[in-house]
Amino acid sequence: MSPVDEPRLASEPNGGGLPALTVSQVSVSFGGVSALTDVNLVVPPGTVTGLIGPNGAGKTTLFNVISGLQEPDRGAIHFFDTDVTMMKPYRRARLGLARTFQRLELFGTLTAGENVQVGLESTVKWWQWRHLRKALWRNSGAESARGDSTAVDALIGSDALAVTTPDRLLAEVGLGGMSNEQANAMPTGLARTVELARGLAIGPKLLLLDEPGSGLDEAESQALGTLLVRLASTGMAVLLVEHDMELVMRICDRILVLDFGHVIATGTPEAIRSDPTVQAAYLGAGSTSGGTQ
Amino acid sequence: MTSFLQYTIFGIILGAGFAIAATGLVVTYTTSGVFNFAHGAVGMIAAFSYWELVANHHVPVVLALVIILLIGAPIAGALVERVLMRRLHGATAERPIMVTLGLLVILTGVANIVWSPKNQYQLSPIVSGSFRQVSINLQYQQVLTIGIAIALVIGLRFLFSSTRTGVGLRAVVDDPGLLAMSGASPDAMSQYGWILGFVMAALAGVLLALTQEQTGISIVAMTLLVVNGYAAAIVGRLKNIPVTFIAAIVIGLLEDYIIYYALPHLSQGLNSDITLALPMVFLFIALVMLPSVRLRAVGRLSTVRVPRMPSGKESLLGGVAFFVLAVIASVVLSSAVVRGTNLLNLGGEIMALGIVGLSLVLLTGYSGQVSLCQFSFMGIGAFLMGKVAGGGSLLGLVAAALVCAVLGALVALPTLRLRALYFALATFAFADAVDQGFFQDSRVFGGGINVGRIILPGLSFGGNRSEFLLLSAFFVLVALLVLTIRRSLFGRRLVAMSDSPAAYATVGLNLAVTKVAVFAIAAALAGIAGGLYATVNGTVGSSDFDFFSGIIFVLFVTVWSIRTVSGAFLAAVTFVVLTTFWSTGLGLVAGAGIILIGRAASGILGIDRLSTLLPLPWVKRASGGGDSGTLAGIGITPMGGEARVAG
Repeated sequence: MSPVDEPRLASEPNGGGLPALTVSQVSVSFGGVSALTDVNLVVPPGTVTGLIGPNGAGKTTLFNVISGLQEPDRGAIHFFDTDVTMMKPYRRARLGLARTFQRLELFGTLTAGENVQVGLESTVKWWQWRHLRKALWRNSGAESARGDSTAVDALIGSDALAVTTPDRLLAEVGLGGMSNEQANAMPTGLARTVELARGLAIGPKLLLLDEPGSGLDEAESQALGTLLVRLASTGMAVLLVEHDMELVMRICDRILVLDFGHVIATGTPEAIRSDPTVQAAYLGAGSTSGGTQ
Repeated sequence: MTSFLQYTIFGIILGAGFAIAATGLVVTYTTSGVFNFAHGAVGMIAAFSYWELVANHHVPVVLALVIILLIGAPIAGALVERVLMRRLHGATAERPIMVTLGLLVILTGVANIVWSPKNQYQLSPIVSGSFRQVSINLQYQQVLTIGIAIALVIGLRFLFSSTRTGVGLRAVVDDPGLLAMSGASPDAMSQYGWILGFVMAALAGVLLALTQEQTGISIVAMTLLVVNGYAAAIVGRLKNIPVTFIAAIVIGLLEDYIIYYALPHLSQGLNSDITLALPMVFLFIALVMLPSVRLRAVGRLSTVRVPRMPSGKESLLGGVAFFVLAVIASVVLSSAVVRGTNLLNLGGEIMALGIVGLSLVLLTGYSGQVSLCQFSFMGIGAFLMGKVAGGGSLLGLVAAALVCAVLGALVALPTLRLRALYFALATFAFADAVDQGFFQDSRVFGGGINVGRIILPGLSFGGNRSEFLLLSAFFVLVALLVLTIRRSLFGRRLVAMSDSPAAYATVGLNLAVTKVAVFAIAAALAGIAGGLYATVNGTVGSSDFDFFSGIIFVLFVTVWSIRTVSGAFLAAVTFVVLTTFWSTGLGLVAGAGIILIGRAASGILGIDRLSTLLPLPWVKRASGGGDSGTLAGIGITPMGGEARVAG
């Protein structure tokens, strides 16, 4: 197993600062089955970190632990300098931790725009009069946009509701004009993108993406990659679980490989591609290139 | 010391009966994933069938037991699985709850027709005679009950852990597809589970009926007696049969000790109320003691097509149009009387119940919380309306809203961390405990309390017409409020919470706060509705808010459409008209309606093909979860957003 060392990145926009996420010695077991064993992980701000491994390796369990849906048996999770190990999911989200799900968790009976709007409004007190007033007459209470920045840029570290609208944010992720589509009627690929937009709507500092490329065609996958790199360039930390190896190898600054709940390798895409342990356990012995599933 | 031993033995015997009922529930849940709210009603039917055969037609006991336990119960179980439950596989959590509640009210409705509650139904023991041991008289019948309970627990434990069939029965809930690949038939396994569950419910019913030797059996008491089994099954987390058995025995002992040691020190009236409320109190305590459910991503996308929300302007226009129609109706019906009933007063009742329906739209339709206790809040509201400021005061309505909101929050607080089924069970327990322990107390409603019409400065609502228009105005205002809430940020949060609790939490929203808030608001609305209801006829009594009526009303709202204002209104119309003109058929119509509507979450107003209403085996079964996403499999097109307007 490769040691978990300090990340060495090609570019570190927030270099020198605290890691956005530090997972230390986390273990989880279900009954007698060990899902994660002493997992360590560091995700610095302004980077895209890939988390790969075969099915059942423990990737989604690790996401659940980080986002608070699963309590670890032992170990600790730090979000910047805050210990969030025992913190409820909604409190982690309020600190700036957003996620998507491997199996869609959309608000299916709301429209795409409303899905995003729920995220945008997540810090708003519902009993405030200005929000109730809008409901008297309109179907949607979206705030008007302010400033010249793009929706995504404006969200980073800001009061989300004040700077963007669901329409703008959906347009930003390639779903312009789809605000009124009911979420459960959308094709899987687009629905995943709505989930991504909803995650972005809370103005996250760390974004956990669980197979966001699933269901996307090649062009959409390219656009997703470009968007994630752009998000990272604004200082956001992105942790990406993805089976599309081409996408992972192309956009990730660093990759961590899980197998049977153990971290078997960490390093740059080049290092991972040539790591014999990874080739044997995941990519298949003898393989030297990406593109496998 | 002898009396303590005697009470202990009686407690164990009582607990053994509960254990048989509880293990039956566990068997059904383990093998189908469905909590059968009709379990008690099945036992009740079995008990009355036993009376019919043995006491009324003098059929030999053994033959009667064979007919009930080996022929009737298995056939009924197989039919229920085949016709009702198989279609529910993969449906959202509230559908099985509603369908089994539908079965419950149908069975009690049928029983009320066949075995008139006015008559006495006495049973003799299966085996007579007794023996004396350690200064205690023990009847052979009691020993038989304990023996059957122990044999069942051992037998079921062996079945589920050591036989291929038992493993298949458990596996069918976890992954029917995988089970099919291993060569077993998931449908057959599921059917075996329901047959076993029905046989055990019937056995528990007959054995518990025999413990009612002195009082005779009654439909309501027999149906609710099994609720003690609910509490034990919950302690066993609906899967652990030995723990369920022990819990049932402990509950039997506790109930016996309370009845014999604690209650004699209380006043006579309170004594009987508490005895009746004990099963539900135990159930509520068992639920509160459950560990919190872990928030998990289920990956099942809600696929219900919801009606388009009208804008504020459309809602207002609709409200005005409704009120104009109410004015016209008040003129047309001003002196209409049918079978001694003033139709304007009937209209007033409809408006008040419509507001209860609106509280359900908010609570269940939007936020997905199944509540079976809205009638409890309604009754409390009516009581306060009669008692505050001499009755008929707006202060009474304010008190009803505030007290019910606080009570609602108090009910929700300890139970909101539970999953949907347990939450529904908690409201079920609360509703019955309030009915038995408060409403039925002679000091609360007595023969009925007088509530005057509302008096406002310069305005008189003494006439039936003005009263009807006042209640219509209230209905319109509450409908506009509910629609406004749905359009608001809070409304979006309610729907989001219902669609995906896991995603709701991970966008930074607090589930607990939202659940308590919506439950309190809905309770307050039901309280206001109760206050208004009380003013219509000038007097209200405990029978206006009884437990079963509350369940039946929830079913009617679900049948019409629990997501729309129109659904709430039509449910109120149906309920009031049936209660007034054909009360015997109330439960039957509600139960049949919910069963016919099957898995269509949008209710009658959301159905655009008649085939949905046919729960026939040859109608192609949907595969997988959700509602309309899988409805395509049974020939249903999801409701189009443009075609329907809520309200």
